[in-house]
Amino acid sequence: MKKFFAFFTVLFLFAFCACAFADEEAKLKSVNDLKTQKLAAQRGTTGQYIAEDLLGDNKNLLLTTYEKYVDAVAALRQRKIRAVIMDEMPARRFLNEVEGLAIMDEVLSEESYAIGFRKGNTELVEAVNKALAEIKADGSLDKIIGKYFEAFLGDGSSSIKPEDIDFNKGAKGGTLVVGTEAGFAPYELKVGSSFIGIDIEMCALIAKKLDKELVIENMNFDALPMAVSTNKVDMICAGMTVTEERKENMDFSDNYVNAKQIALVRAGDYEK
Amino acid sequence: MRNNFFNKHDACLTSRQGAGRGDIVLGLFGLFLLYLLYSSGFFTAAAWQDFNRRFYQNFIKDQRYMMLVDGLKATLFMTSGATLIGLTVGLILSVIRVAYKGGAKIPLLNKLANTYITVLRGTPAMVQLLIWNFTIFASARNLNTQYIAILAFGLNSGAYVAEIFRGGIESIDPGQMEASRSLGLSYGDSMRFVVLPQALRNVIPMLFNEFIAMLKETSVAGYIGIDDLTRAGQNIQALTLEHSQPLIMVAIIYLVIVLFLTHVVRKLEEWLSRGRR
Repeated sequence: MKKFFAFFTVLFLFAFCACAFADEEAKLKSVNDLKTQKLAAQRGTTGQYIAEDLLGDNKNLLLTTYEKYVDAVAALRQRKIRAVIMDEMPARRFLNEVEGLAIMDEVLSEESYAIGFRKGNTELVEAVNKALAEIKADGSLDKIIGKYFEAFLGDGSSSIKPEDIDFNKGAKGGTLVVGTEAGFAPYELKVGSSFIGIDIEMCALIAKKLDKELVIENMNFDALPMAVSTNKVDMICAGMTVTEERKENMDFSDNYVNAKQIALVRAGDYEK
Repeated sequence: MRNNFFNKHDACLTSRQGAGRGDIVLGLFGLFLLYLLYSSGFFTAAAWQDFNRRFYQNFIKDQRYMMLVDGLKATLFMTSGATLIGLTVGLILSVIRVAYKGGAKIPLLNKLANTYITVLRGTPAMVQLLIWNFTIFASARNLNTQYIAILAFGLNSGAYVAEIFRGGIESIDPGQMEASRSLGLSYGDSMRFVVLPQALRNVIPMLFNEFIAMLKETSVAGYIGIDDLTRAGQNIQALTLEHSQPLIMVAIIYLVIVLFLTHVVRKLEEWLSRGRR
């Protein structure tokens, strides 16, 4: 018995070594090369859908979905996967703060973010669209976006304090519960016991226009559609892209920002 | 179990001359782990160079440790709340089942208790948590999510506690019950004054183990938007983009609490078994 145990342990170790420390393959040159590689994305994001399209029939074998971007990028750095399909801005933040990463030149898709609502909640959609149009028109939305890009992609990301955001506490019109996934800087991020981010400040402005108190519910991204359809939250503001699939289960506001999906890879693994 | 393991191991280390084959395998495995750490750059100077800087980034700067403290508060709050519900529900269920076995005419209640235990033990706590939050309490908007989690974990643990109690009661010799009945005590009285006190002594270690398991179980509460200890670590990860340090810190905090609770159980066991030797 012991002999068997010892034999199989040693066999296992060798097999593990052979698998885990296999040599690196040829370098990635373009997005086309990704079609046969191990990819990762955050669960429920458009990055996942794009990766599925890229991989085609191999998606069950080659695609790993993670709960958080930090996990996906850690897997990338540990060579468990070869690319993370994700939104450009959060990817740029990783590029700034973590060594040894690169973004592929080609853009995988261009898209727009919008606020998501429960299907048929037309009253709130219209009210939010009106408020959104107002903050777009008076330039305050652009100001917010500029401020965050500066803070997160330039230097000195500590310049934004959650205390400065007015959540309109004690408003007469009740509460506006917004669901988000606070691991998506510069759009939303949890700092201490409160939140910062483009989406958060935008929602704060909208809440003010609607005379409601802003309440943030921080959840996993793939739980958000469920939360809005069961009325747990009034709306989703989490850098969510409008897709035809999502439109079937959700109503969307007007777009508020344009975004891109890109492939984040290891710098040493990428040859232009 | 634990004692057995150590005894076996001790015997293996002392009774043989030199190292046995098992020890060689263990040693190989240890070497292999060291090699893994080595190959992932664990022992290089670069890995430790900025350890302090990253530690400061993760936990000290802007009082980020407060995120962990708040998370710990939520974890402990949920665990203690769920413990209370679990104990109550478990006690009621086990009394129903034992009373039915003892001849009480409550077939319907017994059936209900059985179904409850089967369903709640047969499904994962996390699935139950999601169902509680998104299906049963779908329209509860202004209810603190932590209360939903307490309910979910408490009812889940109630099913396990019921089985622990029932096992404890059944471990008491039926002669005890017969003796007290023959002395003129009613069924309820002999349960209360004779059987239950002895059963409790037997089940307390197992109960504590159940609650230690629950403390760790609450780590899935992040799924319904509760910033518990695990989630607090993930929030720090998102803030600093650092992967390992927050996770390891969270693990250490859980471990310290569990070690403390284990210590309490051991003391309790000693106290309960005094005069029994």
